[in-house]
Amino acid sequence: MKTIPPTHTEPKSGQQYWRSMDQLQDTPEFRQWLEREFPEGASEFVDPVSRRNFVKIMSASFLLAGVGLTGCRRPEEHILPFSKMPEDYTHGVSQFYASAYPTRGSAIPLVVRAHEGRPVKVEGNSQIPGSKGGTDQFAQASLLNLYDVDRAQRFTKDGAGVDRNVALDALNKLGADMAATKGAGLSFLLERSSSPSRSRLIKAISTKLPQAKWYIYEPVDFDIHRQAASTVFGKSVRPDYQLGAAKRILSLDCDFIGNEQDACALIHGFTKNRKTKTAHDDMNRLYAVEALYSLTGANADHRMRTAASNVLPIAAKIAVAILSQKSGYSAVVQALEPIASQGKADDKWITECAKDLVAGGKESLVLAGYQQPLEVHLMAHVLNAALGAVGTTVNYLPAVEPVKGTIQELAASLNAGDVSTLVILGGNPVYNAPADLGWAAAQAKAGTVIRLGYTEDESFVKKGWHLPLAHYLESWGDARTSDGTLVPVQPLIQPLFGGVTELEVLARIGGQSKTNPYDIVRETFSALDGGDENAWRKFLHDGYLAGSSAKSVTVTLSTGIAAALKGAKVLPAPSQNALEVVFHRSYSLDDGRFANNGWLQETPNPITKVTWDNVIIVSPETAKALGVGRFNENNALGLAGWVSGEKEISQTPSASHGRFDNQVVEVSVNGKTVKGPIWIVPGMADNVVALELGYGRPDAGRIAKSQKDTPAGFNAYVARTSSTLYIAPGAKLTGTTETYPVASTQEHGVMEGRSIIREANLDQYKKQPDFATLMNLHPAPVSPALKEKGVTEAPSLYANPLDAWKDKAVHQWGMAIDLSACVGCTACLVACQSENNVPIVGKDQVRRGREMSWIRMDRYFAGDLLNPQIAFQPMLCQHCEAAPCENVCPVNATAHDEEGLNVMAYNRCVGTRYCSNNCPYKVRRFNYLDYNKRPLNDLVGPHYRTPLTATVNGEWAMSRWWKSPERGWREDEEWELLKLAKNPDVSVRMRGVMEKCSFCVQRIEGAKIAQKVKARDTDNVAVPDGTIKTACQQACPADAIAFGNIKDPNSEVSKWKAMDRDYSVLDFLLTKPRTTYLARIRNQNKAMPDYQEFPGTSQEWLNKHNSFEAHGHEEHAGHDHAEHATTTEETKKGAH
Amino acid sequence: MSDIFPKWTNKLPLLIVVGASLVGTAVTAGVWYYFTPKYTRVGYQPKQPVAFSHKIHADQLGLDCRYCHNGVEKSWYSNVPAASLCMNCHNQVLKDDPKLQVVRDSFNENKPIPWVQIHKVPDYVYFNHSVHVNRGVSCVECHGQINHMDEVYHSKPLSMSFCLDCHRNPEKAIRPLEHITDLDWKWSEDPKANAAKQEAYGLEMVHKMNVQSSQSCSTCHR
Repeated sequence: MKTIPPTHTEPKSGQQYWRSMDQLQDTPEFRQWLEREFPEGASEFVDPVSRRNFVKIMSASFLLAGVGLTGCRRPEEHILPFSKMPEDYTHGVSQFYASAYPTRGSAIPLVVRAHEGRPVKVEGNSQIPGSKGGTDQFAQASLLNLYDVDRAQRFTKDGAGVDRNVALDALNKLGADMAATKGAGLSFLLERSSSPSRSRLIKAISTKLPQAKWYIYEPVDFDIHRQAASTVFGKSVRPDYQLGAAKRILSLDCDFIGNEQDACALIHGFTKNRKTKTAHDDMNRLYAVEALYSLTGANADHRMRTAASNVLPIAAKIAVAILSQKSGYSAVVQALEPIASQGKADDKWITECAKDLVAGGKESLVLAGYQQPLEVHLMAHVLNAALGAVGTTVNYLPAVEPVKGTIQELAASLNAGDVSTLVILGGNPVYNAPADLGWAAAQAKAGTVIRLGYTEDESFVKKGWHLPLAHYLESWGDARTSDGTLVPVQPLIQPLFGGVTELEVLARIGGQSKTNPYDIVRETFSALDGGDENAWRKFLHDGYLAGSSAKSVTVTLSTGIAAALKGAKVLPAPSQNALEVVFHRSYSLDDGRFANNGWLQETPNPITKVTWDNVIIVSPETAKALGVGRFNENNALGLAGWVSGEKEISQTPSASHGRFDNQVVEVSVNGKTVKGPIWIVPGMADNVVALELGYGRPDAGRIAKSQKDTPAGFNAYVARTSSTLYIAPGAKLTGTTETYPVASTQEHGVMEGRSIIREANLDQYKKQPDFATLMNLHPAPVSPALKEKGVTEAPSLYANPLDAWKDKAVHQWGMAIDLSACVGCTACLVACQSENNVPIVGKDQVRRGREMSWIRMDRYFAGDLLNPQIAFQPMLCQHCEAAPCENVCPVNATAHDEEGLNVMAYNRCVGTRYCSNNCPYKVRRFNYLDYNKRPLNDLVGPHYRTPLTATVNGEWAMSRWWKSPERGWREDEEWELLKLAKNPDVSVRMRGVMEKCSFCVQRIEGAKIAQKVKARDTDNVAVPDGTIKTACQQACPADAIAFGNIKDPNSEVSKWKAMDRDYSVLDFLLTKPRTTYLARIRNQNKAMPDYQEFPGTSQEWLNKHNSFEAHGHEEHAGHDHAEHATTTEETKKGAH
Repeated sequence: MSDIFPKWTNKLPLLIVVGASLVGTAVTAGVWYYFTPKYTRVGYQPKQPVAFSHKIHADQLGLDCRYCHNGVEKSWYSNVPAASLCMNCHNQVLKDDPKLQVVRDSFNENKPIPWVQIHKVPDYVYFNHSVHVNRGVSCVECHGQINHMDEVYHSKPLSMSFCLDCHRNPEKAIRPLEHITDLDWKWSEDPKANAAKQEAYGLEMVHKMNVQSSQSCSTCHR
């Protein structure tokens, strides 16, 4: 009874959805890549170490193992109970504490899980009003920083370690000395913070030490939002955007889905109106004007790509178009017109966009990005006021005037010799201060430098004091979220290395009576709330202070707007010889603060899919014009297309097989040169070069330098000056003859051009609500022999092990993912890595296609090469009911349980990898090496050390192993910390074992057990809907994932699966996946010039099937596949 | 040819076959018995730092298991009590007994008593106490009659097949919740009647409590 499902050939019109330039071009390298289970080198050792040698070494190992009979040792283990039992503590039961992850001017409220006193998982706090409890990737990954072996672990004076108390006494003494001089010569350099305690302390210290000076610096600063709002409305306010209320959104280079502050709250609001329940629902519409291809652009319905400097005139054009329809803005319009005339843009785009925003009225919202000049922000606020959006989509909250001094002023003061004592609290100015300040030299001019830093990094003070900063999960503190709600920063663990908090350092230098951070925070709380002990306890328990959100203030436009706008200077449009450089915050490393965080280093950039590096990004046109990158003229895809390289470079053998050895280019800007690998992203604005900040840190630690002791990526800060913080004109880009290896996951796991992602425009969805199911491909035709037996539907190749259990089991687990809501932010990837002990493999292993992430965030480009659409699809184990992987496992290591989970028994797995070979979704991951036991610098191929030759700290690896088999080759200090970060509920997998998404089986079993404990001898064993949240679901700020019992028709996931948008990927294979997707709906505006009737995939489907009318499943017998995937006439014939 | 191969060699093949099968059987039987938890674990009785007797405390004095192992109903782990708990009584009873010196030291000096672990499943097995004791499976099913042990020893193999035996036939173990920690409790002194009553009650409760003692990998391995 064997039927072979047809492979569906590509539509003849050419591919509409593609994931890389190579795919679009269909190069031989790409074909080869595609046809392999794992990329070349991933699944075999191409290393010069011969098989013979390998066998030799292995037999020696076996001999040693045999001599020792290690398997027969029965270790005597001890149980060490408490001496005195703490109250309310049950051994083995995790505890949860409310805390918050402080960001620059805001905070993400968290609930943190502590297992036996160590924090093991960070989750969003869903109790906060208006929050669903999503987080961003940084909050998730911040946990790993706690266990970073390279964090500062000692107090130092002049580079030599001193006792903690000596250092603290020195601070006290400094405080006493300063009190005598009223703080003359004392300067503080701060980072931004929303902590009320900190501002209270600053105020108190300023009164006591009036001569002390305060400065603040953030390399990526979001304060411009407050600055602009305060300018526009003439009082100190900051905007609080209510995207959940917005129906028409215009982003002026504002990456609110990715790189703006509070992105996770903004994503939550934005996606609220993207999730259509039925075809009758309306949704919001996003217009984006931007230079780089950002996550916001990827989620926009209409995207205009233009140079970053051109956003100002475009904003002016839109403002003129809107404001001229409103009364009372003539002066502003007058001021804007000359600006508007300096830019170039499609006028129809502008007028139609403006028209739509006006139609949206108070439900419209205009946002400006942090990297844009102040005037763009002013216009955005004026537009919101003019549209009537104030009070609906944007509220203005009273803002605390922050510290005003800038780093430029501080540098001047240092150079003038005015600073006798410089206190740097956090931050890393030596690495990231603007290059024109010559910061390292300036800092050296201070009499004494005291720095509170998390790592002994670039800014480590060799002359003066360096104090280790406590992690936020080790410190008492407080913060305010975007709407002003007060949240506690609560510690879960004593500082691992005795670190101190910013509050304590401030209090000591300021000679405050209370220096314990707990007392400081407690006092602030009392002052704010007047709260007694009960209120305080409730505050800590809930993780927020009810009713503490800021009340919005009424605002009126100040009269000076027109004058403020008049001064706007439009930079000249960039050209091939004078390119424009855009410095931008990294999706992975923020401004560099996460450089030593392996989880984030290995999380692919959502657009480029590059890991462990930053790349120099340009558009295809620019690359072509400059003759750099991998451009070739001999192709006819509308534009020139792609082959594996430029003449000399193309012949390098490793440039193929999906491994990127990209040309190194030099970007000269501001008189400085930055060198890095080129990367071409379609949809980038032409003549713009994007430089990602945060990489190239020489002293961040061993993770950041894990590849042959060189820092990951290049440092873009060296070319960044005070006047060109974000946009720098007049740059030159030249190619070199060097190449640089880049680890990109871009082409891993490609699924050929089938209807994997299904999309429709809203209008089309309304017409044809079941379009997603209509895009199903045909399963294999029923063979004549079967037909004679009366079989009408093709049977699956694989038996469904669940058939016997489906009715009997209490639960049947399933997941649904809403592609309309998924914005591709990758918070889920990091959450999964944290929850499931997924190891970090390092750049070299990623290049070999051995990344371990259980979720792959697939990113597809669609359509136009110059300005393509992007669609995201998180791809994880689909938990097929009829799972192809299970049938091929020779040892039954992967099998179904009664509740529909496709489970992995790691102990049974012998590593044949047949399952991965047979998985149509390519979601299984194999531990090629012992990623947990080998340090990252030992994971650089092609020559790997063997246990027989390796030494660790001068000790032979085998003898280390004999003494303590579990610690591997990691250094003891690293190993001890690493262990603490692991989730105790999930097995840590060793070499030779296959793994994959388990639907967080530990959470499922945990919930089932809790329910059974509650049920006792009753039959109330069904877990209530919503009890189980998978790690990815919990972290998702967009609420794009539903998980639960599909047997219960009222569960959230069942409701999602009942929607008309629901479909299965590769449905025609009849694997019956338990993970289904809700098709993505785009909301394009018909009047716009870039309107496309059908998004890319639909277009592809239509090219094949002519229309969205239902087509018959009855195929005439004997069709082979060539006929199957066919021209229109034939399909029609088949349907009738 | 008989010069080279004497006559007895004609029997050689037979001898080889018989010999090999005998040796094979012996090896199989040896592995079967000696390499399984039934042999390697059962009877393990290490010396403990304190000569604590369950027989005295649980049987003679009638303390409930949960007085000391108080986490067993809430956690996957059944805790060994803190020294402070011992001292609840022993600051009055036998308060100067030299046998209790280790306990007093632990309490006073804040250092744990190093009890030697006896019952242990491998790290990749996620056994949970709370779900068993709350759903009618008594301590005695896995630990044996601890209440009659002066020194605790490993009395059941705790191997995977041992777990599966019960998971396949849960009705043999489920008892009324009020008798969970009564390790001597039986339906009847007569073994036959006891088995019959247990079977009847077990089957009824399996249905009533909707017991689905799962046998799939994910039940214990995650």
